[in-house]
Amino acid sequence: MRAAQARQRTDAELVRSALDGSEEAYAELVRRYQDLLYRHAERMAGSPDEAEDIVQLAFIKSYRNLATCQNPDHVGAWMFRITANACKDHLKSRRSDGVTIDDVPGLAGETGDPERALARRDLRSRIDSALHRLPADQREAFVMKHVEGLSYQEMEELLGVSVPALKMRVHRAREDLQELLVEGMT
Amino acid sequence: MNGIDPRLQAYLDGELRLDELPVELRDRAVSWDGLLDQIARSAPAGAPLGLDHRVMTEIRARSEPTNQVSQWFAWAIRPRAIRVSPLAGLAVAAALVLAVARPWAGGPATSVENPVAGQVYVQFLVEAGTAESVHLAGDFSDWQPTISLDDSDGDGIWSGRVPLEPGVHEYMFVIDGSEWVPDPNAAATRDDGFGRQNSLLAVSSVSGT
Repeated sequence: MRAAQARQRTDAELVRSALDGSEEAYAELVRRYQDLLYRHAERMAGSPDEAEDIVQLAFIKSYRNLATCQNPDHVGAWMFRITANACKDHLKSRRSDGVTIDDVPGLAGETGDPERALARRDLRSRIDSALHRLPADQREAFVMKHVEGLSYQEMEELLGVSVPALKMRVHRAREDLQELLVEGMT
Repeated sequence: MNGIDPRLQAYLDGELRLDELPVELRDRAVSWDGLLDQIARSAPAGAPLGLDHRVMTEIRARSEPTNQVSQWFAWAIRPRAIRVSPLAGLAVAAALVLAVARPWAGGPATSVENPVAGQVYVQFLVEAGTAESVHLAGDFSDWQPTISLDDSDGDGIWSGRVPLEPGVHEYMFVIDGSEWVPDPNAAATRDDGFGRQNSLLAVSSVSGT
């Protein structure tokens, strides 16, 4: 690291400054965590617009309740929990949009073949549909594990759910996903 | 039959290597790797441009009084230590009542779609030659980029007339739906709280100019 570079303020320092009235400090926290929260919300909600609404509301809620954050060193985890709950609330209030799945082309391998590229796009669309038919708890655990690449221990810290319970959710999500993706083949 | 072999689950959890799986499970493991790779790559890289700006603008809009009445009210109810005699206290109370009541005489809230007496048309102009669309957002639109500017002659100068209440307004232009830029010709700017500048515009009443 360059010696001349300004030291990055810790999360706890930013929380303290924000509680003292510094909007800039809270804005720094927003910039620090918006990518993580948005990616999670987008995968959960399945829509960029809805994800943005969810994240925006989560940040506003976090700001209003910042004084209740018990561990400012881990304010990102606290914000993540607020966002994750907002995602689940959002899903509860939204009806399922009923999707049919036709078949599953080869999943492995990448080629420059246009037909394969089309098939991959089609597959991606069907994966998205299947993902959004999973129960919210399963989808949340699956997204954290396989989209955000978190370990079970990190997920436990973020969600306050035990590792065995999280493993069970991820395992069931894989099984349901597999069933959803192949059901159109039979 | 939708079960997945526990050894395959362990592999997908990162607890077993591929070469530790029985041979008959390895093809399925590779297929799962492909599927999970597709899912991971379909996720967005990060938040859309300007999300932090919209969050902070919304926070400011919700936490700050938005009109003169609420500003007066917020000032009036803010806790502070003052020492006054009983007679002076009565005078201060009367003055506060007058100060709070006067802004109500300005009339009801107005909207851009239904301009009312007292509003002033303001012409906004910005050069954005390569833009597909330009919108205006400001405190007068609750910071929603809903006011479209027009460049029907294609000269790259986007413009629009907007009726505004007299007073000081903050605004920005939104290029192609995502890029928030200040007005390069604004007479003044104000820090938006996280390193960027909102443009400022002072609108005086017609009779006052």
